Amino acid sequence: MTAEPPVLDVRDLSVRFRMRGGRDIAAVTDARFSVAPGECLALVGESGCGKSVLASALLGLLPANAATTGSALLGGDTDLLTAGERTLARTVRGRRIGLVPQSPAAHLTPVRTVRAQLEESLRELTGARGSELPKAAAAAAARASFPEDHLDRYPHELSGGLAQRAATALALIGDAPLLLADEPTTGLDRDLVERTVDELRRHTDEGRALLIITHDLAAAERIADRVAVMYAGRIVEIADAETFFGAPGPRHPYAKGLLDALPEREFTPIPGTPPELGALPEGCAFADRCAYADARCTGERPAFTAGLACHHGPTGRAHSPSKESADA
Amino acid sequence: MAETALARPGRTTRRVRVVTSAVIVTAVALAVLVVPPLAQLDQQAVDLANKLDPPSLAHLFGTDDVGRDLLLRCVYGLRVSLLVGLVAALTATVIGTAIGALAGAFGGWADRIVMRVVDALSSIPHLLLGIFIVAMFRPGVWPVIVSVALTHWISTARIVRSEVLSLRSRPFIDAAVSGGASRTRVIVRHLLPGVLPQAGLAAVLMVPHAMWHESALSFLGLGLPSHQASLGNLVQSARGSLLAGDWWPTLFPGLFLIIPTLALAGLAGAWRDRINPRRKSELML
Amino acid sequence: MLEMTRITAGYDRRDPVVRDVSLHVGAGEAVGLLGPSGCGKSTLAKVAALLHRPDAGTMTLDGTVIRGWRHRAPREQRTAVGVVFQQPRLSADPRLSLRELIAQPLRSTGRRRDVPERVAELAPLVGLSDELLERRPHAVSDGQLQRACLARALVLRPRLLICDEMTAMLDASTTAALVAVVERYRAASGAALLAVGHDRVLLERWCDRTVRWDERDTEKAPAGPVTAGGGLRPPAAPR
Repeated sequence: MTAEPPVLDVRDLSVRFRMRGGRDIAAVTDARFSVAPGECLALVGESGCGKSVLASALLGLLPANAATTGSALLGGDTDLLTAGERTLARTVRGRRIGLVPQSPAAHLTPVRTVRAQLEESLRELTGARGSELPKAAAAAAARASFPEDHLDRYPHELSGGLAQRAATALALIGDAPLLLADEPTTGLDRDLVERTVDELRRHTDEGRALLIITHDLAAAERIADRVAVMYAGRIVEIADAETFFGAPGPRHPYAKGLLDALPEREFTPIPGTPPELGALPEGCAFADRCAYADARCTGERPAFTAGLACHHGPTGRAHSPSKESADA
Repeated sequence: MAETALARPGRTTRRVRVVTSAVIVTAVALAVLVVPPLAQLDQQAVDLANKLDPPSLAHLFGTDDVGRDLLLRCVYGLRVSLLVGLVAALTATVIGTAIGALAGAFGGWADRIVMRVVDALSSIPHLLLGIFIVAMFRPGVWPVIVSVALTHWISTARIVRSEVLSLRSRPFIDAAVSGGASRTRVIVRHLLPGVLPQAGLAAVLMVPHAMWHESALSFLGLGLPSHQASLGNLVQSARGSLLAGDWWPTLFPGLFLIIPTLALAGLAGAWRDRINPRRKSELML
Repeated sequence: MLEMTRITAGYDRRDPVVRDVSLHVGAGEAVGLLGPSGCGKSTLAKVAALLHRPDAGTMTLDGTVIRGWRHRAPREQRTAVGVVFQQPRLSADPRLSLRELIAQPLRSTGRRRDVPERVAELAPLVGLSDELLERRPHAVSDGQLQRACLARALVLRPRLLICDEMTAMLDASTTAALVAVVERYRAASGAALLAVGHDRVLLERWCDRTVRWDERDTEKAPAGPVTAGGGLRPPAAPR
């Protein structure tokens, strides 16, 4: 990456939910990553691994019983975790972080045309007034490749792809340096996934930072510069997308398992199911399902060093189960 | 994660409201159930020497225009009003649930006919329809109950029908059919249990409504016979004294109507929050 | 096994979602039906599962011509086809524990005595622990719930399994796990499969044969000119 300072710098971010009965749920633990201008970081993991909670934390949208620790610096000066709701609402959401939503059809107001919604956001975020508005709305639509002749339609009259573009156009209006896309491709057909992802990539190439949260590995491969793999609330590996998806491949056994589960690869599942976030084991959360696990894995939690949280990491990625058991 | 309902802002206020409501409802239930048989007092005892006494230690709520103790009259009145309200609401709920569930489950012609009847009935003001029904009988408790029940099942039928319709199109009903479930089994095992919380809620919400309805009928002189203490009758007979500046015969029966009905509505509201499915899924990590 | 000929179906007779579609699934065969979302393939799947009466067309199951759908179909026909839907949340009665969810078909068909045995057999197969079996749907994840839904579809040992976008909401590992369960069942029982979805890579990997929605099964259709227009919404053809 370039020497430019990161747009978003997340340090040791943890989110705990306090449950009735005094139980705690460790939704996110010690997440550490950064996103630079012009860079796309894909946060991947199974549903329920805490990645959506992480996104909510960054937007200040956590429910009242959530407690956060750590920091998430936006642009080097604003800590998203400690900034008040006023600051977040007035200067951050929309202006400094653009949100590309999961289900665009639900994100758009059903009773208002796309134009009306774009113009409202323009008035709110750029201060455009009166006669400038139609032109500005057309320009905003054009930026997200939303066809101008569809501007006067209502959300239900749009196809899934166009609704996604309309939502993206809204997210881009504030000219925010950071785009946050939360599962932007869920339920879309493959062609549409690729189009959506390519457009997001284009906005990244214009110099924005993009954090995309997804369980769709194919989409992540297509768009990301770097990949962060999350498992049971922790980031277990951060790697360059090229080496992660290509050769030499992922270093964490879980990440390797995820890729191997793809129908275009081995199509073999990872045995077992992820642990409950309310009852995480002492040691490595993946040890239960891991072919390489030994006594150290179940006994102590691996530290996150050099972009990897695995006891077997430093021994190199070419480890095999037989070799590991021989070591142990 | 069976109990993962989240703390939401205002939870304390909500709890206070629920507890207050519960205390009031319990107190009311005790008062109307226990006091009359225990007290051995005659609420009809006329004492012309002490008519229209303001509240005092001897008569906490004062006396009415023929010297009867108002506190006792109010308790008896509440007893009658509550009885009418409960029975009427229960009857209305049973009728409404049965009709709504059948219309929703069978659909087609049966549904269309039932819903047109419902539309027609609900276009007539409740009170007017209620008056029409009581007018056909001699004054008494049962005509009032029938009148209230027959005018109030409509909303329940609507709620239950729409609920059944929305459940019926859910894939889990398809899955049950595919698994070999008979028509009866689908209705009894899968549709009705899903609807009952809503119907129960509607029933509880209907009790205050039915009490007010009874009071309105009695106030108009069409409900219970005027010698029987019902809250509506009490307010009605106090009209004359109110004009003369004697406020207590109106105020206390009025409060006896308003406070318990508000408490009941408060409890029903808490129940609605409980069965509101959104709350359960608020934290699906 | 399943023979659908010139099926027209939908929710409004004037504007059917499925027009003139024919589809053939041989005994023990795995057929993938591939199409974009909203094209009507789910409706076709419901017709095949005897859950939605078509407006026109004929269908045979195991050589028997189907005369009624939903409750008008004999129980033996309905239970010969197992179905798994796209959204596990909506396909599970929220009041039932996962154990009861899996047991429902047994109870519906008067075989409650088999419940403990069959549930104990299926739960490890789909990867559900005893502890999970006691939970209700809102306390488990989408993936865990879909595992239970698959077990429910298998509990009566269907001869044809229909998976309608079974894995669309799930991550790669759970997808692979569920597909493996289906394949293990098919290998043991010889059941046929109709897998409906929009993920070409997945269906081609999973099934013996993949049919694209817009080309349907023209070569296998026994009768006449099949398909009108194809694609999402073929233009209304006067008939």
